[in-house]
Amino acid sequence: MSEIAAPDHLAASRGTGFVDSLLRRLAALQPVRFLVIGLSIAVLLALIAYPLVLLTGYSLVDAQGNLTFETFEKAFARRGMWQATVNSGWLVLFVTLGSCALGIPLAWIVARTDAPGKTLVTLAAGVSFVIPTFISVISWIFLAAPNSGYLNKLAIELFGFEKAPFNIMSFGGLVFIEIVGVYPLVFFAVNAALNNVDASHEQAARILGAGRLRTTLTITLPLVRPAILSAVILVMLDALSSFGAPSAIGTMANFSVITTKIYDLLKFPPQFNYAAAVAMPIMIFTAISLLIQKYAIRAENFRTLTGKATPGQILALGRWRWVAGGFCLIVALVTAVLPVGALLLLSVLSSFGADIRLDNLVGKHYALIFDENFAARASILHSLLLALATATVCATLGLVLGWVVERFRFFGRELIGFLVMIAYGFPSIAYAVGILMGYVDLFYGTLTLILIAYAGKLLPIAFVLVRNGIQQLSTDLEEAARISGAGWLRSIKDVTFPLVRGAVGIAWVLVFSLSLRELSMSAILAQSDTQVMPTVVLQFIEDGAVELAAALAVVIVVVSLSMLGLIRLFTAKKTAAVS
Amino acid sequence: MSSSTALRHPATEPTTAERPRLELRALRKQLGDTAAVNGIDLRVAPGESVVLLGPSGCGKTTTLRMVAGFLQPDGGEIHLNGALASNAGFSLPPEKRRLGMVFQTYAVWPHRTVAENVGYGLEVAGKKRGEVEAVVAAVLDLVQLGSLARRYPAELSGGQQQRVALARALATKPSLLLLDEPLSNLDASLREEMRFELRALQKDIGLTTLYVTHDQDEALVLADRIVVMNKGRIEQIGTPEEVYRTPASRFVGGFIGIANLLEGEVETVDRAGGRVRVALDAGDRIWSASTDRWLAGAVPGTRATVLLRPEDIRLDRPEAPDQEQGIEVSFGSESFLGSHYELKLRAGGLTPDGILLRVQSRLRGTFVDGRTRLWARPGSAWVVA
Repeated sequence: MSEIAAPDHLAASRGTGFVDSLLRRLAALQPVRFLVIGLSIAVLLALIAYPLVLLTGYSLVDAQGNLTFETFEKAFARRGMWQATVNSGWLVLFVTLGSCALGIPLAWIVARTDAPGKTLVTLAAGVSFVIPTFISVISWIFLAAPNSGYLNKLAIELFGFEKAPFNIMSFGGLVFIEIVGVYPLVFFAVNAALNNVDASHEQAARILGAGRLRTTLTITLPLVRPAILSAVILVMLDALSSFGAPSAIGTMANFSVITTKIYDLLKFPPQFNYAAAVAMPIMIFTAISLLIQKYAIRAENFRTLTGKATPGQILALGRWRWVAGGFCLIVALVTAVLPVGALLLLSVLSSFGADIRLDNLVGKHYALIFDENFAARASILHSLLLALATATVCATLGLVLGWVVERFRFFGRELIGFLVMIAYGFPSIAYAVGILMGYVDLFYGTLTLILIAYAGKLLPIAFVLVRNGIQQLSTDLEEAARISGAGWLRSIKDVTFPLVRGAVGIAWVLVFSLSLRELSMSAILAQSDTQVMPTVVLQFIEDGAVELAAALAVVIVVVSLSMLGLIRLFTAKKTAAVS
Repeated sequence: MSSSTALRHPATEPTTAERPRLELRALRKQLGDTAAVNGIDLRVAPGESVVLLGPSGCGKTTTLRMVAGFLQPDGGEIHLNGALASNAGFSLPPEKRRLGMVFQTYAVWPHRTVAENVGYGLEVAGKKRGEVEAVVAAVLDLVQLGSLARRYPAELSGGQQQRVALARALATKPSLLLLDEPLSNLDASLREEMRFELRALQKDIGLTTLYVTHDQDEALVLADRIVVMNKGRIEQIGTPEEVYRTPASRFVGGFIGIANLLEGEVETVDRAGGRVRVALDAGDRIWSASTDRWLAGAVPGTRATVLLRPEDIRLDRPEAPDQEQGIEVSFGSESFLGSHYELKLRAGGLTPDGILLRVQSRLRGTFVDGRTRLWARPGSAWVVA
């Protein structure tokens, strides 16, 4: 520093006094920052941590509030509870095996062979994935109810069966419906993994003298194993926490699983302690699975390349090509075409059991659903309102949280991500019990109660999508705005937000669609004045009004699919051309 | 040249003209367990181009980011135009520092057109639309992108995006322009071209720049002064000629250019001439200059390391006839590089682990039994320590 400038400098830093420097120091603390971090953590605690702590607490105390394990003993000593637990176990086992048996070979055929009908299978898996099981139950009642199912009628009349060959209203039927609902998880994961295996890995093995089979077993399969394991865990959790189909079929076939038992325990008079205790095994199983997922599988997850199978990786099947093609066709037919067709048909058929003739096709079910004096209309409004609110809340929270986690360096930053992911793995039904216990006094019988549950459960989806979007944004882009003179908020408005808008939009649409079809939590939280479409559908099924159930289900599917179509809007923007 | 005149910085007031644009005092920053920046003092005068040069991890980028305001120092002070900008307890936010910055990744916003990118800083400053447009047009002409104003960055090549980033940083007439390895993502020929262009631009509009790079050639072309950094400290500050010809340490000598380092023992000290005569272990005696500080402590018998640049070594015969017998070397390898031969030779007599010498010579050299002699150009040798 030169002699002349030195006094100036002293005047600048010291002379203007203590107040100025204090003010500058306070400004450097950035109160907005602390407010944002504090608020987002508070919201997370309220939405996720609080209900879960309550849930655990309730299962460990008795009516007097003493710590005890008796609640567990009593809860599981109740009549049928043990059988329900065993049923859940079998369900998980069979569904997992079935999904793998169906999903892995299909994925291999689609990714690595020249079989015809590959696009058809991908499309069918997408359809199965989009349609929730409580809706496919309706289709399968129509197709394979023991006496009046149309496939059964067809079998008896045309193929001379003595008695009905199919019975969907059984444990086996439930397993079948669940497999069709969740096998796409395995299919998509393994298919993507197979496409991601770089051809050079396999070619290297071939050059060294390994045959096709040996290469597949020693190179390809180990490379896609993490994908398979991840998918298996998701399938297990899905089957364990499934509620819609078990509830609909269980009522008719007279069996229970854990989730339907929890639901029963919450019917009037609600027994929170027992419900919480029964939810515990699901929670523990979930926690273990997620830990395995995090530590065992992620560590092994080494594939990073993306792409498509190269011609050299495609196996020419020769004569077997048509066998594989036939298999694809049958899968598509059974898992997608038949159920969707049945649903549409049933929704316009004068009554279940009537002959399929043109003069039996009517629009009266739809008319009734939209009738002002009928419960269904209100449920449509409720569902749309809830979906709008949930999507907006989740997209906003996801943006704020994702950005806080990615851009702020502070102690406990990982805690946010951790809390959010707990909500993701958490079974809906147990989570709803927690929400009910936490907020029933405040919001009993209101849509707000349902909104809290939806928002907490679906937040992870928005969070992950938006966080990934922010992760892909180099911090340089924001820093460039700062150095150009834009403040902290302005840099977000001008740079960050426009660049993650696509991800936020996709998150909004996905959460909207998922809210529309949410059943497990709705069934527990909805009261007579706050019914939503899925709970009304379930009620219709249990009342035997399957035609009405079908019509309302079609509404759900149509709205969901058209909303998902909106994703194209968000991805087709030129902002997607981020290099 | 009218556009460049438009961008020329307004003449600073006489009283502030002496003030450095940037001053770092005992700047320190700890990153994890390592002292990324460990006590740095530096002043950048108006219109000066200073290059921070060093290997990766030397602390140059950390220093730059502290100047920008993205990192807060753990100790020391940063002053911009004579006013405190950062110390351990206070940090002026980046947007208040009136700086420009060109990022290594360019950081050109993909959702804004070229013109919108360049005009952003002016827009934020609340300038009128007409004014923004005029400046943007002038700056884009300056970086030869005038025709691409309406394009989106994704439609541009890497080199063009780099120019957009530069134009964006220049548009607000920053008091100091920071450049963080701006050329490292370009291909070799474009990089070389941009070096000279940047230097011309900097001189032309009187920019004050702080430039970070690990590329010595870039530093030599661009710098008025080079700051050589290593392990969080400054090894030497000097003009390109100074750091190349008279490096302050073995590190500097080795980092900039190719260094042949020969050990030896001081025979004669000529303080008046600023030089010593060193008897090299490899043979031969050589007059070698050094810093006054080193000379002050030098006595006959002191060990010394002499730096010889490859282009200062002559094969076959000495430049001046009165030179000594020369250093005997054995042949290692030879490559023809067009303008010269690059030879690797082994000095140190018959010992197998003799010193490797790199020589750039117009002549191929005459070897007898794989041996020859070489001489240092008079006045070229320099004692680094």
